Amino acid sequence: MKHGAIIGIAFSALALFGTFGTAHAQADCKTLVKPSPFGPDDQIGATNRITPAVTKAAAAEIQSGAVISMANNLVDGVPLFGTRFTKTVLTSATLVPGAELGKNRLTFMEDTYLSQSHVGTHIDGMGHIGILDCYYNQTPIGKFVTQNYLKKLGLENLKSFATRGVIIDMVKVFQDAGKLKTNPACQTPCLDGGTVISEADIQAGLKMYNVTLREGDAVFIHTGWGDLFKQFPAQNANYNKAEPGIGKAAAAWLAAQKVVLVGTDTWAVEVIPSEDAMEAFPVHVFLLTDNGIHIIENVRTDLIAAEAASSKRATFFLSMTVPKAVGTTGTFVNIEAIR
Amino acid sequence: MTALLMKRRHFLLATLAVISSKRLAAEPRRFRVAFANLNEEPGTRIDGLGFTGADIRRSFELASRSQPLDMIYYDNGGDAEKALGNARDAISSKVDLLIEYNSDAKANAEIGRQLKTAGIPVLAVNYSIPGAPLYAADNVAAGRIAGQALGKFAKENWPDQTLVAAILGDVSDPGAAVTARIQGLTEGLRQELPDLSPVQLDSAGHAVRAGGVLAKFLAAQTRRKILVATLDDASALAAKSAVETAGRTSDCVIVSQGADRSIHGGASEKKEIDPANRGSIILGSVGYFFDRYGYEILPIALRMLRGEQVPPQTSTKHVLISAKNVFVEYPPFDMN
Repeated sequence: MKHGAIIGIAFSALALFGTFGTAHAQADCKTLVKPSPFGPDDQIGATNRITPAVTKAAAAEIQSGAVISMANNLVDGVPLFGTRFTKTVLTSATLVPGAELGKNRLTFMEDTYLSQSHVGTHIDGMGHIGILDCYYNQTPIGKFVTQNYLKKLGLENLKSFATRGVIIDMVKVFQDAGKLKTNPACQTPCLDGGTVISEADIQAGLKMYNVTLREGDAVFIHTGWGDLFKQFPAQNANYNKAEPGIGKAAAAWLAAQKVVLVGTDTWAVEVIPSEDAMEAFPVHVFLLTDNGIHIIENVRTDLIAAEAASSKRATFFLSMTVPKAVGTTGTFVNIEAIR
Repeated sequence: MTALLMKRRHFLLATLAVISSKRLAAEPRRFRVAFANLNEEPGTRIDGLGFTGADIRRSFELASRSQPLDMIYYDNGGDAEKALGNARDAISSKVDLLIEYNSDAKANAEIGRQLKTAGIPVLAVNYSIPGAPLYAADNVAAGRIAGQALGKFAKENWPDQTLVAAILGDVSDPGAAVTARIQGLTEGLRQELPDLSPVQLDSAGHAVRAGGVLAKFLAAQTRRKILVATLDDASALAAKSAVETAGRTSDCVIVSQGADRSIHGGASEKKEIDPANRGSIILGSVGYFFDRYGYEILPIALRMLRGEQVPPQTSTKHVLISAKNVFVEYPPFDMN
């Protein structure tokens, strides 16, 4: 039995090396990935754009002090991409009678959270997406991969996201244009899976609330698809099967506006199925790998979209902090819009 | 003063004209294109493979999203009369172009004649229409790819073994496509193994029967290595099951035709052709990409509409889909 277990482990290890050890020969990253606009040593991408002046200007968005949540609850059972999982375990041993500590009978509890990092409302970092082994800023990532974490492009490098947020209500844009094709599983209006959001749609959404994008803005798009996320677990399969999202032209236009991030109430930000059936997640590559622009997925956008609709103001001060988790490629985040 | 007003008016008109022309330049002309599909009856397989009419139509819906096209869809229902009626409707709807997927040669000739009279260009799919460009599968080439793959595997892995080969599936299908695939399979095998003649095992198009027919064949072929070319993916999966039941997995390899969704899948689906299943006795399946027809055909239609020359025939670029390339050819996005 013991021998069997040891042999099993040995085979598993071999399989692991077989899978990852020979993954890719070194590719020519200078031909596959664009150089960073922030210099050859940059690791932090578009967060470079959040200067003190940008943060100060964004602070002017705080007028009433009202805080609107833009994150979904992190709980077991929400839709997850592919083979990802979460499992929360509560440790409450000292609550058992007789297990209290000291004469003051102290008890305590804590949690074990087993999960991949790209779950729930989360940020994609620069180490998340590449072409072969070429990542952001032409980084040959194979040289910086260890068994536990990345030695380059980790989230610990990022600057703050204290900047202006802009919500674009794509449901309203499509309703106004008379082209909203909703999904029957959505309990509130939503763009259907596979709907391509174009550059013109983005511009129409900005015009709706008279917003002109500024360098360093954080752009969030409300598609209504997050309605399916909120119905978890009933609509998990539908949520993951497809999604509305930006196409390549819209991504290029947003990048040209020098935004710092793009977030949506979907699991991949970009339209799924892709515009080109042969390409895998091309907008991820364009935003993250080529332009250093962060992607935030599974954002709760309905509350801020409703607030924008009632106040006719689509801008806010973005409060989002990213844990300094060394060498990681992404993490769940909490996001709040301060008005 | 009047002159000044006139100048201002001219300036405003000129500005408006520039803005309008810029807008026109930015927004390409939209075309109304009709696609008449072969048969969208649920459960009906298309041209002997595992794809459905819905797969084909969906590919047109997806591919047209980012194109300046307003699509109109028809279902010919595998019926020549219905196809003629759909073509008449397309003519009365004054579409800019008709993409016709209909297997009846006589009806196709009439459709071609009527559309020509109406001055509407036609693009034919898999079955020719006189005078119209054709997009079609190259069934002989696809068969040849499978035959060569089986032959190469045998030469590399079983150089000193006694070999037999079988073509399993609806071999009595009278359609030209199946006949061409069998021809290609035989040619491909003989290119690698000139002395090998494949026997034909008829399943009459039923996957369960395919398993039974192959099981009988296996029982008669002891101490031989067996190369199986299946005519569709359902037959390949049934064949694999029959081989496993017979305990002959070390004696048999299978290559299929179609590469439909039943045999490959997304990252968490763990289908038969999967990067994590490289040891399968199903070496692969030749891709026909019926589920990508819209992406292949609509660019040709757009070129026709813009007055560009298109070749008289464009063929599908068939490749063997295996565990090594399945995620490149079919990037997984459906992650349930």
